[in-house]
Amino acid sequence: MITDERDEVIDRAARSLSALPMVNPMAVLEITAAAAVHRSMRPARARAVLGWFRRPSLSLASTGLLMAAALVVGFVTRAALTGAAETLGTQTSEHPVLTPAADAGAASRGVPVPMVYDAKNARSVTVVGDFNSWDPAATPMTRVGVDGPWAATVFAKPGRHVYAFLVDGTTLVADPRSPRARDNDYGGDASVLMVPTP
Amino acid sequence: MNEIDPAVPLRARAGDEKAFIEIVEYYYPRCLRFARNMLGSDQDAEEAVQDAFVRVFDSFPRFREDARFDPWLFRILANRCRTIHARSRRHQSLIEYGDLPVSAAAAPEEEEFGADWAEEVRVILETLPVEQKEAFLLRHVEDLSYEDIAAVTGVGLSALRMRVKRACDTLRARLTKVEK
Repeated sequence: MITDERDEVIDRAARSLSALPMVNPMAVLEITAAAAVHRSMRPARARAVLGWFRRPSLSLASTGLLMAAALVVGFVTRAALTGAAETLGTQTSEHPVLTPAADAGAASRGVPVPMVYDAKNARSVTVVGDFNSWDPAATPMTRVGVDGPWAATVFAKPGRHVYAFLVDGTTLVADPRSPRARDNDYGGDASVLMVPTP
Repeated sequence: MNEIDPAVPLRARAGDEKAFIEIVEYYYPRCLRFARNMLGSDQDAEEAVQDAFVRVFDSFPRFREDARFDPWLFRILANRCRTIHARSRRHQSLIEYGDLPVSAAAAPEEEEFGADWAEEVRVILETLPVEQKEAFLLRHVEDLSYEDIAAVTGVGLSALRMRVKRACDTLRARLTKVEK
């Protein structure tokens, strides 16, 4: 009979490995968002988006609001891809609906990429980049909650893209989660988005 | 180890996103602990845990109503850890910047056991065959029963007991030397 009696040495060794790690609230957000997005797309596309979520994390607002942002982005992406716009009303009824990303035919324009930006004092934020011709009206972001982060989904074709957030219609701000772009023709700060081929 | 209310995974299985968030919040620390102990790298561990939860989310339709959630979750997580461990071994000759090994980070357990002891345990753990390390961690750190570990690993009970015994023998022999 094999026994694995836990003597003092083994008990001490096991306890030295048993401390629970500190949890970064962003990690929980990233998992819930990644899961929601992953279900909505083919595996190759999902890997691209998962890569986005694994970029270095920011210290943002409360976890609850971030999770709400993640779920909104995820379900909007799913709805945009499946055309099941009517399901948004029931699944995200507590949260604003990101209509710009949910328009018909959005999926054909490229890979959906969730965008989240924390700007507590902003009155409006839009995503501008080469994927939407730097059009400030193309992809407005929606604030999640009263003072939560801003969220939207953009569709970008595989390849390298340059983008930024336009705050209050006047100030271009680079995405702090992404590498800084050095070749921004539009002027102002901008970031690089890499979208792999699905 | 307390398990989550069995109703929660069933709610998640039925499509309740809040239940899924509840599951992630409840199990994330344990999953990250297991993955860190298995992989020895924070970055690899976080990747394994995220992948595992995404697969859980995708696989909920296949989760049986009468099944227990813990072994099911840990089976998915252990599979991800094995895959990432194999990938890391293939790339172990590469130097990775920006990813401190777990042992280099300040750890709460060092305050209780002393840095040398905790470090020695981790060093010995890294030298164990991966199947012994996995069995030891599931049994003595995650506190799973042998029946649950069998469900996680797909290995028979007697083989599991042997793996745990061998891991314990190695740890005991080397740690006893450290104490002398």
